[in-house]
Parts: sequence; C-alpha cells; structure tokens
Amino acid sequence: MGRPKASLEWHGSTLLQRVVGIVARVVDGPVVVVRAPGQELPELPAEVALATDAREGRGPLEGIHAGLAALGDAASWAYVSSTDVPLLHPAFVRAVLRAAEREDADVALPVAHGFRHPLAAAYRTGLLPEVERLIAEDRMKPAFLFERVRMHELDEDELLRDRDLSRADPDLLSLLNVNDPAEYERARARSAPAVTVRRFGALARNGAGLEPLPVRAATLGEAATSAGVTLDRHVVAALNGDQISRDPDYPLATGDAVAFLAADAGG
Amino acid sequence: MRRVPAPVDRGSAPGGYFGRALVADLPHGGAERLPLSEQVLRSCIGGAGLGAWLMHRLAPPGVDPLAPEAPLAFVFSPLVGTPLTTSAKFAVVAKSPLTGLLNDALASSHFAIAGKLTGHDALVVRGACEVPSVLVVDGGRTRVEPAFPLWGLPAAEAERRLRERLGAGFRVAAIGPAGERLVRYATVSHDGRHAGRGGLGAVMGAKRLKAVAVRGAGVKPPLADPEGVLVAARDLRERSFGPATAKYRELGTLANLLSFNAISTLPTRNFQAASFEDAPRLAAEELHELRGVARNNCASCTIGCEHIYAGRGGSRARVEYENVFALGPLCGVSDPDATLAASARCDELGLDTISAGGTIAWAMECAERGLIDAPWLRFGDADALLRALDEIAAREGLGDLLSEGSRRAAATIGPEAEAIAPQVKGLELPGYEPRTLQAMALGLAVNARGADHNRSGAYEADLSGELDRLAGGEGHAAAAIETEDRAAAMDSLILCKFLRGVFAEPWPEWAALLQPVTGWDMDERELKRTARRIVLAKRLYNLREGWTRAEDRLPERFLSEPIELDSGRQATLTPARLGGMIDAYYAGRGLDPDGRPEPATTAELDLDLFVRGASP
Repeated sequence: MGRPKASLEWHGSTLLQRVVGIVARVVDGPVVVVRAPGQELPELPAEVALATDAREGRGPLEGIHAGLAALGDAASWAYVSSTDVPLLHPAFVRAVLRAAEREDADVALPVAHGFRHPLAAAYRTGLLPEVERLIAEDRMKPAFLFERVRMHELDEDELLRDRDLSRADPDLLSLLNVNDPAEYERARARSAPAVTVRRFGALARNGAGLEPLPVRAATLGEAATSAGVTLDRHVVAALNGDQISRDPDYPLATGDAVAFLAADAGG
Repeated sequence: MRRVPAPVDRGSAPGGYFGRALVADLPHGGAERLPLSEQVLRSCIGGAGLGAWLMHRLAPPGVDPLAPEAPLAFVFSPLVGTPLTTSAKFAVVAKSPLTGLLNDALASSHFAIAGKLTGHDALVVRGACEVPSVLVVDGGRTRVEPAFPLWGLPAAEAERRLRERLGAGFRVAAIGPAGERLVRYATVSHDGRHAGRGGLGAVMGAKRLKAVAVRGAGVKPPLADPEGVLVAARDLRERSFGPATAKYRELGTLANLLSFNAISTLPTRNFQAASFEDAPRLAAEELHELRGVARNNCASCTIGCEHIYAGRGGSRARVEYENVFALGPLCGVSDPDATLAASARCDELGLDTISAGGTIAWAMECAERGLIDAPWLRFGDADALLRALDEIAAREGLGDLLSEGSRRAAATIGPEAEAIAPQVKGLELPGYEPRTLQAMALGLAVNARGADHNRSGAYEADLSGELDRLAGGEGHAAAAIETEDRAAAMDSLILCKFLRGVFAEPWPEWAALLQPVTGWDMDERELKRTARRIVLAKRLYNLREGWTRAEDRLPERFLSEPIELDSGRQATLTPARLGGMIDAYYAGRGLDPDGRPEPATTAELDLDLFVRGASP
C-alpha cells in the first residue's frame, strides 16, 4: 500500500476507527487493537485496549496471540478482524459469533468468495495455549492452528441463512479488503452506507422529519448533517431503537435507522 | 378597599425568608408560629428539604397518614416571590397514605406566592374538622369556615366559587371528590395544576378540609441583594427561551411519547411491552397540529410547557406525557379523544393520573388472567377506562379496591397479582421502562418517595449515550445518585426541573442564585452537601416509620421477564444486577448494607438535625 492501512481514510473515518467502532457495536466485552512494535495508530476511544505484537512481521498468528492474551478471561469468544474492511457490517460479526456459539467449535471460519478468512473469524479465547505452542514451533500460519482444533467452516450459504446478515449484506461485502492502492481507491469510490434518519419531538418541525428519510452516511455526524440536526448537548441519537449516542464519529452501516431525539427526556 | 400591609416581624431571618412556619390546628383554626432558625433554613433551604425537617419535627412517629394528628404542610422557598423564572412553586408534604412514607408533591401556582406572603415559609395543618371545611389564612390570621356547598365539587369549581366568595386576592388549593373519599392517590389542585403524587388529597380529605385559601399580607421578605437578584433573573429569563427548553415550549412533555416508543421505553399494557403500535395516534408531533389550541404558563414562568388540546365535543384537556402514557398505552388505549377525556376526568375527580392509570392497567391484566372478576375491564377499552375512573373516585364496585392503589389491591389477591403490580413502595411507576433504562431502574427502586421520575432523573444518564442503558452497573449507580441530588436541590430551592437544561454547570449556578436572595456565602460544595442531606433526611424519616431495605426493589415482573427491543436485543434486569446497583448506591451514599446512614455520614451531613427535631 505504501501507507499504513490503519490510517487510510474512508468517508470521514480512518479504517481502524471504523472497524473498531463496528466491532464495538456488537460485542459486549472489550475491544483490543493489536499493533506492531512502535506502530503509531489513529486516535481511538479511551475504552479500546492496546496490545503489541511480540515480534514484528511474523504473520497473523502473532497478532491473534497478542489479542487473546490481552483479553484474558474477559470473554469466551473473540471476533478477530483485519483493519482493512471498510464495509464490515455489524450483522456479519454477529452472524459469525452466533455460529461459533451455536456449533460449539473452537473456531468459526468464514469461507467465501473462494477463500478462507481467518481475519474475519471467531476464536475461542481458551485457544491461547495452543497458539503459544504453534508460535514456539514457529508454525506461524493460522492454517496450522486449524489442523489442531475443532473447526466450523461457514460457507456463503450458511452465512446468509442468518436473516439479519442476508438483509444487511447479501453480497458479503464485509469481507472486502484493500490490499493495494487500486483496491483502496475502488473502496473509497463506493458510497457511504445507506441509512435512514428520523427526527422526533421539537426536532420534527411541524411533524416534518417523523418519516424515515433515506440518506448516505458513514458516521452519526454525517447522518445528523443530513437530517439538519446539530449533535450538541440538547440532542442524542438512537441507533436502531437500541443504543443511544451523541458521538459524531459513531460508525453507521447499511440499513441503520437513526432517530434524533431531545436529550432532555423529562416530564 | 385597599388593604394596608401588616408589619411582619421577621426577627433575624435571612433574605428571602420569614423565619417561621404557621401551624394551624383544626377544627378551630387556632394557630401557632414555629420559629425556623437560620441553621434549619440553611441546612434544608425550603420546599422538599424544609418539608422533610417539618415532618421529622411535627409528625408523631408511626402516625396513620389519614389520622387527624398527621400534619400536612405547604412549604415555600426563599426564591418564591422573586422575579426568578419558575420560582412560584411550593411543596405539599405529608406522610403518604399510599406509601406510608414521606411524600412531597410539588406544584407551581399563585398559591405559592400568596401563601408565602402570609408571612410564613410554610403553612402546616394538623387535626381534623367535624364537617367539610375551608381553612382560611388571611395574612397572619387564620379561621375555619364550613364548606358544605363545595363538598363534592371538582377542585377547580370549588376554587372558583371560593375565590368568588372570599375575594380574588385569595388563592386556593382544593381537593376533588377523590380526596373527599380518601382515594389513596388523590391530588391537591390549584390554578389548574396539581400536587399529584402520593395521595396528599386524601390527607386533606381525612381532615374534611375541602380547601386552603390564602391571602398575602402584602409584604415580601427583603432580599440580601435586590439588584443582584434582578440581574440573575434577567439572565435566567433570557436563557429560558433557548434550546434547552424548546421541547417543553414547542410540544410539551408529550414529545416524549413517540421518542420513547422508538427506543422501547414506552410502558404498554401494564409493562408487558415497551412500545405501543398505536403510539403515533397519541403523539405530540401529530396531535399538536390537529388539536393544539392553547399554551399556558405557570405563575412566574417563562417556559410555558402546558399545552391544551381540544377533545371531542369542544372539550379541552391539559396534555402531558405522564397522563397520556398512563391513560393511553399503559391501558392499551389508542383513541386520543378517550385519553384526553380520561385525563380531564382525572383532573375533575382529583386523581393522580399515573397512579390511576397504573392501577387500572394492573386491574386490566388481572381481569385478563382471571385474577379479578371484571369481564368489562379490558386493555384498549376506553369506556372501561372512564368507568373505572368514576368507580375509583366514588369508591363504588371494583373502584373501592382500586382506590387503594395497586400494592394494597394486589395484596388482597395474591402473589401472581403482586408480581405484576407496577409499584415501588406503593407508588405506581411513571412512564419510563426500567428494563431498557437501567440507571432509572435503580432510581425507581431506591427513591424515598417510591417509583418516581421527579425525584430521580436517572433516565438522563440512560439517555446520555455515556452508559449502556441495558447493562446497569456501578456507573449507573453514580449517575442515579447525582441526578437524585440535583432533584433534591431543585425541589428545595425551588426551581422547575424543565429549566435544568439551561444550567451548564448547575451546582455553582444554583448556589449563585441563592446568594443574592439569602446573603449566604453558600458555594457549590455546600449546596451539594445540602442536597445529599435532604435526600438522606427523607430516608431517615422512612427508617423511623419502619422502612427496610426490602422496600428498595422493583416488582418481580421487571426482574424475571425480559423485554425485546426492535433491534432484537433482549433487555434483561436480574435481581443480582439490581442488587449490585443498590449496593453501589448505598456505598456511594454512605449507607450501611441495610440502607442506614453510617455514623460518618450522619456526622458529615449533620443528620442529627433531623433526629433532634423528631418529637414535637
């Protein structure tokens, strides 16, 4: 690429900020970012934990090791993602984690578009000792791990049997990564996610704004601008009727429904 | 004839105070003056805080709330009568017949100004009349008049006739038929506003007191820095026109309804669901254009949150979120005309809309489950809702049971009914779903008054985006403490909570408002300590009356039935999670595991001030 992928811009965010935000929307435990020794990262939310590869340039198993070690017993499962997936959808992460829990495997591994995707997979955190053994044996490819543990491969059909995922990402663009400048430019040329915005209360002037308005927005801040709303201390947003945020960098994904509300709910 | 102001001896009272309360004894109306020391005033400020001190001081331990000797206090504050916007407020304080615990209900009206200008910081009524009566406080003089022609009238009509008889200079707080018949959630009304929660209208009814009429003596207590108060008032007035109050000004609190529906926090069909399919029919965004006919301000208020809507047949109804939620989605009623009519009927009868709606919704579910024999009472049936309201106020038929509130009524039926009774400490829940607002769940569980959104605004933390509203924990406990403290400060100063958004730094700004009025050098730290003291003063009163930790809880339904959000996520609140938040709340408040103040807390907050004053 010639530039660190983590810092590449995509519709107002860096790729790393976006991936961290999308994963954080799904998981209920900590999010860990693993970096190379001395690697500078874009600004991240304070609650994101940082870990560092023991040695640089040794491949993905080194990063998986550092991430699992940082998680400790804070979670039973870890979703492992690469940085360069601008179209990663929360429904994809959720579908992989659901499959992992459902199948009681050690790894739930998507196999799609003709490839295995070890950096878009769920790993049982208890695999850490096995990963350590492989590193000690200098067997640094995830494929070596897959030979030793209980695997569940998720093909395209199985992935898309998840109704949320088939609705949100029918082409499995969550797996689209950028490996060279041309791929990055093609990814940048893609539109921001298609979402809907609504305004409630005094923000719905004379009732206008109550109906969902389709807009393109990759972040909450962009959605607010599209809705003609300023995200100040008097306004909050509800994502899909669920989490509340007023963070303009909060990442949005295709199909999200954003509701802008008065922050003051008294009465 | 022009009245000549009578001289008022304030002694050495601080600015904004008269330094005394009037204690009137029924049936004859004889009165004594209870001196209020500067230490008491500075420690409690006014309103809810001073009311708590008065109850510790004047209420006999263990008193039946409906017994003659139970005191009922109308408590003012140092800001009443100043030009500060929203300051014309008072607290009605007594032991609640619904909860058996301390209750303060706040309202805004000219009664606050006229009552204070009688020359007292509080008016307390004790005893009972033998016949329906009116207590008249005319400046420093008190008398009791018979009220036979007024008995049975709606409060507003009684108020109108009484002012016609006594003179327009009088301001009146009155009860409706529900209070006369001791419905445990009857209101006290004035200027079309209501001290609504906790059944204080029944306390008046038990005293056979239809109304209290007050007329000021025409003398205001001096202010420490009149020019400073004017400057503060001008500034606050300007800010009250800004974005922080836009919601109240433009749509009123009913703006909550559709927003809450969108985030699964709109209690529906007795809390069986958290969103209502017909919510848009009841939404302010829709109804305001179609039916909005007027907007009213309380006395001395520049916000104007009260929105009046036209109902069927030319009727008019005051519309707020809580009455529409309770008499609409909570009862499964989607017809706006029916909900507006039920709301207006509650006002006429003198019923708290939240407790009335909550108790009826509970009865509807009980009827569906076959726990009570009332085949006519079904969710969504507007006629049944109106019939139930009338039966409650008349204590006729099923209404006699429902007039006791959902906790007492459920106790007569059994555990299945108790598990779904929507109450904490006997007070029915307001329109905030605790499973999807888990800081609020804690606030509802631990508040001294019972399940209440005006004494615990913890929903603000849930809706701030800074906490996960579905995963209550220690952060939620800290937020619940802070919002409860803020409510205690606003309820004692007294300022309207709808103004709270204009204060970017509320503690120093509130302390700064108090300084030119009283002359006190009270800073942010002292005001915070005062608020914490007031919160615990209420808890201390409840402890005196037999409260135990077992009452800091939520009904079983909320701890055993998850709610599914539109996103597919389940909102679950377990006993362990709520218990953990309660532990964190107690620790944060300096309470022991049984909910009693630790000795260090008692010392730090000078809580002995209340214990010392416990006996009259």
